[in-house]
Amino acid sequence: MVDLALRMLLHDRLRFFITVSGVAFAVNLILSQVGLFFGLISNSSVIVRNIPAEIWVTSKNTPNVDFAQAFPEAYVQRVRSIPGVQRADNLIVTFLNIHLPNGATEGTVTYAVEDFQAWNLPWKLESGDIRDLRRGNFMFTDASAVRRIGAFQAGDYREVSGVRMRYAGRSLGATSFTTTPVSFMDYRLAQRMNSNLLEGNTTYILVKAAPGANIQALKAEIQRRLPHNDVYTRNEWAKRSDDYWIKNTGIGLNAYLTVALGILVGVVIVAQTLYTSTMEHIKEFGTVKAIGGSNADIYRLLGRQALVAAVLGFAIGALLTLAMEPGVAAIGLRLILPAPVWFSVALGTVFMCLLSAGVSFRKVANIDPGLVFRS
Amino acid sequence: MPVLEASDIVKEYQEGRNRTRILHGVSLTVEPGEVVALEGPSGSGKTTLLQILGCILSPTEGRVKVNGEPADLSDASALAELRKRHIGFVFQQFNLFPSLNALENVQYALQVKGHRGRGLKEEARRWIEAMELSDRAHYLPRDLSGGQKQRVAIARAMAGNPAALLADEPTANLDSQVGTQVLQLFRSLATDHGRGVLIVTHDPKVRDIADRVLRIRDGLIHA
Ligand SMILES: Nc1ncnc2c1ncn2[C@@H]1O[C@H](COP(=O)(O)OP(=O)(O)O)[C@@H](O)[C@H]1O
Ligand SMILES: [Mg+2]
Repeated sequence: MVDLALRMLLHDRLRFFITVSGVAFAVNLILSQVGLFFGLISNSSVIVRNIPAEIWVTSKNTPNVDFAQAFPEAYVQRVRSIPGVQRADNLIVTFLNIHLPNGATEGTVTYAVEDFQAWNLPWKLESGDIRDLRRGNFMFTDASAVRRIGAFQAGDYREVSGVRMRYAGRSLGATSFTTTPVSFMDYRLAQRMNSNLLEGNTTYILVKAAPGANIQALKAEIQRRLPHNDVYTRNEWAKRSDDYWIKNTGIGLNAYLTVALGILVGVVIVAQTLYTSTMEHIKEFGTVKAIGGSNADIYRLLGRQALVAAVLGFAIGALLTLAMEPGVAAIGLRLILPAPVWFSVALGTVFMCLLSAGVSFRKVANIDPGLVFRS
Repeated sequence: MPVLEASDIVKEYQEGRNRTRILHGVSLTVEPGEVVALEGPSGSGKTTLLQILGCILSPTEGRVKVNGEPADLSDASALAELRKRHIGFVFQQFNLFPSLNALENVQYALQVKGHRGRGLKEEARRWIEAMELSDRAHYLPRDLSGGQKQRVAIARAMAGNPAALLADEPTANLDSQVGTQVLQLFRSLATDHGRGVLIVTHDPKVRDIADRVLRIRDGLIHA
């Protein structure tokens, strides 16, 4: 088979390069923005998603996991007494201040439970033994915090909210949306360090359901027994935290705008280069018609050209995005691109290119085949 | 049965508010095996008539039959179908696909006409050979001389065995000697292959090979 569509495209390499670059640029713009968006958002609920608690009890109207509010820690007893609850424990999330060696102070959002292993916290360690948290004034801080609090390692001492603490180690991947460093320490210790708020109080109850328990029913029962608290499934709670930041920081709007911009740039570049290329080859399309080609033949030619641009452009744009990952990681951000995103962007690219081909087609469909007789 | 038959063709062009009548009721037939030359001053409507006969342009009035089939002048895709099955065009500007080599130009025409596979390749090669282009089969048009380009164009027009061959000033861009060779090719396509050939030209040499020479003047044909 003679592939006239492809040969026409490749005959003008510069234009072909521009078309493919345009698509690749648009794809890269969209993928990197969506990836950054998911990367940022995942910071807000990464801890919730890693704790093996199917149900979270929060104080009334807590907006997100970092902005915790206190309620009586004895409530946990009511939860423990419900059939279908395998385990329920208090979790304190509280802001503490770390005094840095340079004299500055940084906040740290501190997660405190009695049994860290039972709740898979922290789920990834860089150094240290989590059991040390039971032994006294020890804490873990996430390795990502070095951007905020400078270098630190196990064995270093820091003054935290007026208490001399020692680092037992560093965790990995525990982040907050606001990039406030995440720390871990013993439940009672955290309670004492913020005693005016937390004396006799907790901020969350983590609930692990018994195997086979009906989560929705369990949630409803907990809610019935704790009418002045909110009760969420893990997904609901993670989503509530995510949505809080999406709505209140404009990153959602920003992501939408950039994606729209990417689509616009892609469509404009592809439509424009495809259209000028079509106009330049108009006599060839006229010839196709003169030798008996139908409009369907013309559309197939244009569609194929658009498809080639789409596939190549997507491939290059996707590779560019992957190539950006180390750079993005170096500035403390992450690209998270789930399979459905790749899939929709690929489909969108094809659609965008075919749409552009449609613009050219309207022109070619109406050409006067007599133009092949003119010089 | 004539391969081309035009009866009482009237063609008017609308330009702004003016309607200009280019053809005033022209009738013409081309029989199989016949070479008909059509002469006339520039602007006399030769190309217009050729486009009408070739089902590229619809006349304002009149009827066209191709290989016995009446052309439905209101149906663009039916006209395309007629072109595809019965008509080969040769142009003054050659109009080869610049990104395809000689052989591929012919192959592509066959593809458009619905041919596929081994048969397509063989037929394309046959026409390239018939036009004595075997050693140029893989050259791009830009590397071919004018005469070679026009021979590729003829091979492309002949591929698929159309009954009628329509050529618009096929020798205008060729030097005299090459022009004579190209005209001889048209002659043999009519004589040896039974095609009906209509050549629009100013070239006086066409008289040596044409069975009939028609002159068009003031929108009418004079034998
Ligand atoms: N598409 C068109 N619209 C308007 N006028 C046209 C068009 N095509 C040709 N003409 C006019 O019709 C006349 C005949 O044109 P043409 O058939 O090309 O003549 P020839 O081929 O004999 O030189 C010319 O005056 C030309 O300007
Ligand atoms: Mg003319």
